[in-house]
Amino acid sequence: MSKKTQKTDEQLIAAFQGGDETAFVELVDRYKDRLVNFVYRFLNDMTDAEDLVQETFLKVYKNKHAYREIAKFSTWIYTIAGNLARSELRKRKRRKTYTMSSLSYDDNEFTAVDTDKDTEGIVFNSYAGEEIMKAIHNLPEPFKTITILRDIQELSYEDISTILDIPMGTVKSRVNRARLKLQETLSYLRE
Amino acid sequence: MQNNECVYISDQFTDYRENTLSSEIKAKVDAHLAVCSPCRNIFQELENVLDTLHKLPLHQARPDFTKALLSRIDDIDQESLWHKFSHSTVSKVAGYAIAAGLVVALGLNMLIDPISPIDPNGKRSFTEEQMNQSVTPESLAEQADSSNNQQADSLALHHNAINPTGSSLQLVSDTK
Repeated sequence: MSKKTQKTDEQLIAAFQGGDETAFVELVDRYKDRLVNFVYRFLNDMTDAEDLVQETFLKVYKNKHAYREIAKFSTWIYTIAGNLARSELRKRKRRKTYTMSSLSYDDNEFTAVDTDKDTEGIVFNSYAGEEIMKAIHNLPEPFKTITILRDIQELSYEDISTILDIPMGTVKSRVNRARLKLQETLSYLRE
Repeated sequence: MQNNECVYISDQFTDYRENTLSSEIKAKVDAHLAVCSPCRNIFQELENVLDTLHKLPLHQARPDFTKALLSRIDDIDQESLWHKFSHSTVSKVAGYAIAAGLVVALGLNMLIDPISPIDPNGKRSFTEEQMNQSVTPESLAEQADSSNNQQADSLALHHNAINPTGSSLQLVSDTK
């Protein structure tokens, strides 16, 4: 009896390029949760994350012939989603800058981030996930992306290198630096 | 960080965790961590952060995510079909043909009957019938009489409706 083998992502996208729309639906089902989770870590908003992942799939649908089997499908789709997420973050940053600059000095006092956290009860070796997510969100852009890809999505260094189009050595050193920055940011929890 | 060696050791942390260091460098890191408590603390904190990151709950797309996406794709497909049609040669030719047909139809109509348009029922209009009738002084007088009689009937009916006894009407009529 022959065991039914699951098609690879690359076989599915090839089938979709050949006109098989069910292959596209299967790819959506395979990647929707992973991508929503990935984008959510950037945007910190579930509705926006889902909208952006829909945009990602729409881009795949419209540009299916742009995919060439020189890269893995996963790196291709992560690249699209990552680019859209970063672009959305830039837009938000511009909007935020505008909003902040249009406030008076007194208003700014009220909207400033409260850094005096009540850390009572937070044991250092059992971090609250929320605190970590805030810290990731506040990391400089290259470190944020690399932390999400490596430490949350658990992608390989090779895949990250392809997605970000940077050498593997740079990926590794950036991962290390990002982790140290994260640790440094969160060190207040220990005090 | 304490010194250059601490910086060098911390640079190795990721590979150290993932066991990808050469045995020589791994031994160096082990030896350093054994004697440098700040680096040991940093490494321990890093481990804790990564443990928590790996345990973060996974978010899932809403149940109707795929359905909603496919519906958006259907809309786009329909738009693009219309877009393709509206920009295709066939649609342009069809448009020109319809325009040419209209021009020809109007032109023929003008040739057949240059004065009046054809009414929807295919009959000649009332004005045209009037124009085709021969107009004589007798017929004009006849038309004027019939028109006056109609106006008088209409006035009488109106006055009766206002005053059924007809007294004041009679008075007015008498004065006339």
